[in-house]
Amino acid sequence: MASDPEDAELIVSSLSGDEDAFVELVRRHETAVGAYLARRVGRELAEDLLGEVWVAAFTSRANYDRSFPGARPWLFGVAHNAIRRHWRSRPAEQPVADVTPMASRWDPWAAVDSRIDAAPVLRHALAQLRPEQRELLTLVAWEDLTIADAGRVLGMPPGTARRSLHEARMALRHEPGVAALLTDQNMMRKAN
Amino acid sequence: MIDEMDLLSGIKAAEPLRRGAFEDARTVLRAAMDVETAPRTRNALRRRAHWGTRRTAAFGIVAAGAAAAAVAVVVASSPGPAAPTVPASQQAAASSPLLVLAARITASGGSLPGNASLIIRTQTASGIAPDVSYNLYTDDGAFYVGGDKKSLAQAVAKGQNLADGITGAEVKAALYAARGALSAARVQIVDASPNALGLGLPKAEREKIWAKAMAKVRKIYLEKGIKKLPPLPTGKALRALADNYVWNNSVDALSAGAGNPRVRAGVLRLLSTISGVRIAHSAVGGQAVLTLTAGPEVFGGQGEQVLTVNARTGMPVKSVQPADGKVRGSVDTFRVLRVTLADAEAGKL
Repeated sequence: MASDPEDAELIVSSLSGDEDAFVELVRRHETAVGAYLARRVGRELAEDLLGEVWVAAFTSRANYDRSFPGARPWLFGVAHNAIRRHWRSRPAEQPVADVTPMASRWDPWAAVDSRIDAAPVLRHALAQLRPEQRELLTLVAWEDLTIADAGRVLGMPPGTARRSLHEARMALRHEPGVAALLTDQNMMRKAN
Repeated sequence: MIDEMDLLSGIKAAEPLRRGAFEDARTVLRAAMDVETAPRTRNALRRRAHWGTRRTAAFGIVAAGAAAAAVAVVVASSPGPAAPTVPASQQAAASSPLLVLAARITASGGSLPGNASLIIRTQTASGIAPDVSYNLYTDDGAFYVGGDKKSLAQAVAKGQNLADGITGAEVKAALYAARGALSAARVQIVDASPNALGLGLPKAEREKIWAKAMAKVRKIYLEKGIKKLPPLPTGKALRALADNYVWNNSVDALSAGAGNPRVRAGVLRLLSTISGVRIAHSAVGGQAVLTLTAGPEVFGGQGEQVLTVNARTGMPVKSVQPADGKVRGSVDTFRVLRVTLADAEAGKL
């Protein structure tokens, strides 16, 4: 039985004129890329940007490194660039977006644990990090990427990505608000 | 033991995208694919209605010649010339927000109610009372103007059709641009108004047209003490002059055909070919918009114009022309409605 073609094969087919192959690639990853965008810019803008991401990916597919069979990190990279372009193109009088847009009105965390509102504390702590550290952390924690793949999204060698992630984790762990959260949560866990 | 990564994972949930959003995004992709694979050969009172003052490029001596020639020479958009290939820079722009928005508008399709577009324009300029005009463009090319519903109704009733043919040609070029090859669409939109550039024609033919135009303006040059007439523009100079025509004529096409989504899509695609246009996301009155700033390079090194369109529909919102030397700054805001000619005549708008 023939197995499904790898992402890289679909990209190669699309370069040979098979447009359906690229649409198949998009179908495979649209939920993940959509969620990636929504976590960073909110649902509404994510819906606006998604088409732009596919067009940009299609336009630049000739540059895809075919030694990577899976294209999801590459697509995250394209989405990452689309978000950066979006923020860059905002007029100067508007505040440059940081992680604030992640604070969607739809926030299930509060329902999970109403006693401790961890989300604002974590968002504040994330905002203190350098952008690439923040992106690495969230790629690993939210998008379930390996450190190497997260580095690939950002064009970072695996060793650099590991080091940067470690630094980011330490910075996050020792941020006062997060440190307090960790203490509380671990104490509650112990008590239970 | 809970660590910082566990905490982070706890806030990963995001509001999911609507199911239709994935389909919309794929439709945008399909539209962009169509563009890439489309065969290259596929196929005075009036000024009152225009948005702000039309800025003709002032490209030094060459511009003076071209601008003057534009008054005297009409180069019809003949169907013959082979369209030049789309430069790599234009193809690379496939991810431009303008192309994406155009693809989205085209993909949304839908039927068009009414048989005319009513553009209610309010122009404010420093030191002048706001000027409101009701501009009615019918789908078959007629154009009526009034200061309010009543005077517009009278103009329609009296058959005061002010169409001069240029607007119709501009709208036609925009309609073509919605799906056609961009290089050919550029030629069409430039040739919608009189010019002596001869875009897309063989060089010998262009030289003839240019020489004829120069002969007509020779006297003006001599009166100004200029003995050497400008040479036929080529290369960057030609591109810059053509960009000026593309901007002006596309904005005119939008002013006349904004009620038609295909015109809006075509205009956005045409404007995406101008490298001197900067795009920014913004918000006006609670609606997401794109601002298109045509910089000085579009106007021969001087001045700029800012067009704002709705980021979801491409519908024009406003046009700003900053004050520049003797040119008074102005802000035009727009309301675009689809109506019927009969309702306009009856004053039922």
